[in-house]
Amino acid sequence: MSVAKPHESAKQVNGWRARKFVADYGVYIALLLLLLAAAVLTPKLYEVNTIAVVMRQASQLGIVAIGQTLILLVAGLDLSIGGIFVMTSIVVADVTNGRDDLVIPAILIALALGALVGLGNGVLVTKRRVPPFVATLGMLVLVKGATQAYTRGVPGGFVPEVLGIVNQSWFVLSIPLLLWLGLNAVFMFVLGRTAYGRKVYAVGSNTEAARLSGISVDTIRISVYVLGSCLAVASGVVLTGYVGYVDRFIGTGLELDSIAAAIVGGTAFVGGRGGLLGTIAGVLLIQLLSTMALLMGLDIQVQFIIKGLVILGAVTLYSLANVEE
Amino acid sequence: MSDYILEMRNISKSFAGVQALKDVTIRCKPGQVYGLVGENGAGKSTLMKILAGAYKADAGEIIYKGEQREGATAGEVIDSGISIIYQELALVSQMSVAENIFLGREPRYALGVLNLRELHSRSAALLTRLGIRLDTRLPVSELTVAQRQLVEIAKALSQNADLIVMDEPSAILAGSELDQLFSIIESLVEQGVTIIYISHRLDEVFRIADEVTVLKDGELVETRPIDQLDRPTLVELMVGRPLDEIFPQTDHEQGELVMVAEHISSDTILEDASLELYAGEILGIAGMVGSGRTELARALFGADPLTSGEVRLVTNKGASWSNPAKAIESGLALVPEDRKSHGLFTSLSARINVTLPILSRITRMGVLQSQAEDEIVEAAKERLSIVMASADQEAQYLSGGNQQKLVLAKWLETNPTVVILDEPTRGVDVGAKFEIYKLMRQLNDRGIAIVMISSELPEVIGMSDRILVMNAGRIVGEFAHGEASEAGIIELATMADSGANHS
Ligand SMILES: Nc1ncnc2c1ncn2[C@@H]1O[C@H](COP(=O)(O)OP(=O)(O)OP(=O)(O)O)[C@@H](O)[C@H]1O
Ligand SMILES: [Mg+2]
Repeated sequence: MSVAKPHESAKQVNGWRARKFVADYGVYIALLLLLLAAAVLTPKLYEVNTIAVVMRQASQLGIVAIGQTLILLVAGLDLSIGGIFVMTSIVVADVTNGRDDLVIPAILIALALGALVGLGNGVLVTKRRVPPFVATLGMLVLVKGATQAYTRGVPGGFVPEVLGIVNQSWFVLSIPLLLWLGLNAVFMFVLGRTAYGRKVYAVGSNTEAARLSGISVDTIRISVYVLGSCLAVASGVVLTGYVGYVDRFIGTGLELDSIAAAIVGGTAFVGGRGGLLGTIAGVLLIQLLSTMALLMGLDIQVQFIIKGLVILGAVTLYSLANVEE
Repeated sequence: MSDYILEMRNISKSFAGVQALKDVTIRCKPGQVYGLVGENGAGKSTLMKILAGAYKADAGEIIYKGEQREGATAGEVIDSGISIIYQELALVSQMSVAENIFLGREPRYALGVLNLRELHSRSAALLTRLGIRLDTRLPVSELTVAQRQLVEIAKALSQNADLIVMDEPSAILAGSELDQLFSIIESLVEQGVTIIYISHRLDEVFRIADEVTVLKDGELVETRPIDQLDRPTLVELMVGRPLDEIFPQTDHEQGELVMVAEHISSDTILEDASLELYAGEILGIAGMVGSGRTELARALFGADPLTSGEVRLVTNKGASWSNPAKAIESGLALVPEDRKSHGLFTSLSARINVTLPILSRITRMGVLQSQAEDEIVEAAKERLSIVMASADQEAQYLSGGNQQKLVLAKWLETNPTVVILDEPTRGVDVGAKFEIYKLMRQLNDRGIAIVMISSELPEVIGMSDRILVMNAGRIVGEFAHGEASEAGIIELATMADSGANHS
């Protein structure tokens, strides 16, 4: 809160408006600036092939970020995504053992298991009142441990060839990108135009008021964790197809990147505020940063530092804009 | 130096799309009480927040103690001798009562070590002055709204201010608590302290103010000495037209029995409460702060689990319920007392707030029907004259009274059998108050039974067909319509023996 000398007040009000403007549109502006910078720094980014790759990777992150946004909207958090990725790739390889015709059953099994993990997260958070950070981190360790125990440390099986389709692109279009766009369309509709979406926002905005309005708060919260996990499975299938073999460390870091994307895109950590449009921009921003850093040959550590700075900057901006005039 | 302690000259302020204040001037002399009144959204709180340094005026100047104020932070404003009791309570809920009262000004030993003993003893002394006994170690989150209100007042008193702004301090106080507040105001005024008192309860304004300023739609209507005003005139100045302040009555006989509560207790102060509720009536619940009225409402609604006893509907196949969702399904509605933490979704739009409990009515197969929703929101806005820039405005940016109207509107749209209203007109202006009363009677005409909790005794007496009085968690008496008097209610409500919370 600040008070200015009278002759300064107009300037200060403008200052606040500017902050609010930056908070509302900042992520899009940042994205634009980054694209401009890329034209100078890493012109290679604008080659069709690079764009296709960036979009495919953005889709991977983006699908996870949809779920993460839903979970953040109810003031939750999901750190168990890495575990789900590993589990997904093992299930796909194990069930199909390279057979194309078993892909669909494999995906269904992975989805079922994923839903179970999400259910576990949700139940821990709601019924046992474990803080989401602790619950989902615990689940991450549990799932990773379980997959290791199952494979005894040496993952077997083969990834069916048909999944390699995720690597193909037609200009910049690819299956992952279409999947990401499609899922975004679906979930934007769900959040904006359905009763369920309203309830998600209500639970995040004021849990007690939601309960007193007759919303089954626990059901809503559990459901977003389940959705989040299923979306992670979807992204995991894509990534498995892309990698082509079972990797114990597949998907590591996506949980943090997806949280970052949602927060940078304007979804509030405390719930009840934000949405998927911002998250899309956040995903593109983070993906661009990674790709540009790679193209410029920067060390992985430098990449982390840049990402960290961007996240801190975004969070600071949003909190500044929420301060009253 | 002029004899004014404070002049706010030609203050204007607008928020994105809303002109909250236009060229408003007020002047205050030391040792006087100034009433500040006006409809919901008139700009009263905004004017005071500008004084507090929480908002900046777009134009105008503030002259305080003879000096033009050249900008000041909220902290500097407090140090300069102005303290403000905000309408939206602003306490830190995880901290104790005492820590809140002395927040940032805690008594210390050398080296900055907190003097906890003095912190608590001085807090306790302040609270005693307000006539309440309260454990100063309790976290604020465990207090009722009314208790928080009193802590807020104690906090303002502890600052030894020369000018105290009270933004609806009494909105949920009644009887002896109110008397305490007024006697404190009187003694402050004798010491030369200036008070700006915002209230929608005009009786109080007439009781303590020396001069009254009326705002309407952000503009100054008039400032007049109180002895040149009577209530109808003041109301007309506020509303812009004459208003008949007559409590609407039902014209039908008592209906059939719809709901019974038998010997209910919950894990709160509430103990062994029984009541019967009849179709088309208003059952008033009166009592002091902390007497268990809100706890009764919550227990009836299934918001707090019952530890013994039973609540059920007589109609609707004798439905009973154990949580709010089931209660709503069975046909109950609750407008909670604590609108900020129990009623309102502050980060969501007004539209979403209003239609949340009736999502099934505005959706087809789970998909929202914008037109149906718009109609409902528009109707609610009209009916309760809710002031908002648009239905998409976030609820947190509405004025206090308009927030209350949102919470009410939300339940009036459901089709309930029983409506429980906990302080339904808290912070609502006179005009809208009578609209709400009329609405309550319209609900009655449709056979809907209403339980109304209110600390505003004229309202309880004027609107209730029967009145139950609570004291220390129990129902201690009942008045029929026409039998009740303020004195009678207060006597039952403060009867010793059970009145352990009050001195
Ligand atoms: N931070 C804000 N952003 C946008 N609009 C605001 C903000 N604060 C207040 N307003 C608007 O300014 C107007 C005046 O509000 P204010 O709170 O001063 O009314 P009030 O006279 O105190 O009303 P009440 O009796 O209901 O408390 C209202 O229309 C309100 O919606
Ligand atoms: Mg106000």
